[in-house]
Amino acid sequence: MNCLLRWLPLLLAGLLVAACAPAIAPQPDPWQTMRQSGGSVLWLGEYRFVPPPPPWQELDLNENDLSLALYRSCDMAEPGKFPCESTMAYAEEPFGYSREFEPRAHEFLKRYLWASRVRFSTPELTPIVIDGRQALLVQVAGEEPVKHHRLQARIVFMHRGERVVAFFINQWRADGLPFSTADFAEFDRFVASFRFVKPSFYENL
Amino acid sequence: MEGHQRNLYLYDRFNARVAGVSRDDAETLHHWTKELGLTFPVFSNPVGHLGIWFDALEVGSPMFSRNTVVIDKWGTIRYMQRGSPDYREILRLLKQLHAEEVGP
Repeated sequence: MNCLLRWLPLLLAGLLVAACAPAIAPQPDPWQTMRQSGGSVLWLGEYRFVPPPPPWQELDLNENDLSLALYRSCDMAEPGKFPCESTMAYAEEPFGYSREFEPRAHEFLKRYLWASRVRFSTPELTPIVIDGRQALLVQVAGEEPVKHHRLQARIVFMHRGERVVAFFINQWRADGLPFSTADFAEFDRFVASFRFVKPSFYENL
Repeated sequence: MEGHQRNLYLYDRFNARVAGVSRDDAETLHHWTKELGLTFPVFSNPVGHLGIWFDALEVGSPMFSRNTVVIDKWGTIRYMQRGSPDYREILRLLKQLHAEEVGP
């Protein structure tokens, strides 16, 4: 009995601490209104895809053309801490104009991250097949010439109807910080899950 | 400009041609059209009268404001829009004009 009395205050303190501890509330699903069965989302009635899980979050592009961008910083305690961040996107109208993959890739890289003045290495172009469809994978590294921030990017060109569309991811890192293979894996899953739900504006024109 | 280059094959289908107009000198335009890979004509108009005709020359501005003009085959201006081109709107109009052109 004495033993129980000795431990009771400690037990009560433990219970009080447990009662005060905040319950871990599930984070609201940012894609809830678009969520479909199987975990995919239907975006603007145009595309269906499985979005990467948090901390990836959608970026508001404020653009007229159909584009979708997702972002995560390396340290979510300091969102946007540059230069350690990754951005992935789908672009309905990627830079360039050719309807063949290789020339489009070169046109694209002329303007891709142009404002950052990135010096790109020679891009590695690999024809691939995604869900039975021909695509071109471009992998390229780069460096920003002033502060020597480094970049790794992966771009996938595909056709939607006659036109070329693109998926891309870029990772920025300060010199010496490693790039994330997990972010590239999330990108690959995002691309593999992506489906066009209906014919595009141009296919209907 | 790049958007128009991207849509050239569709303009062809609708029997439409595109041309750009700028106040830059011909040498500058030659450089930029080559850099951007443009294959349609871009006219140099340093004097600026085309900007006056198409309401793209604001008083005191050294350059034309962005303006998209669609002229039908009979020479009538059918569309004028300030700002960045709305390519989908332009294509829908060109399709409609082409339908008028070829008749029922």
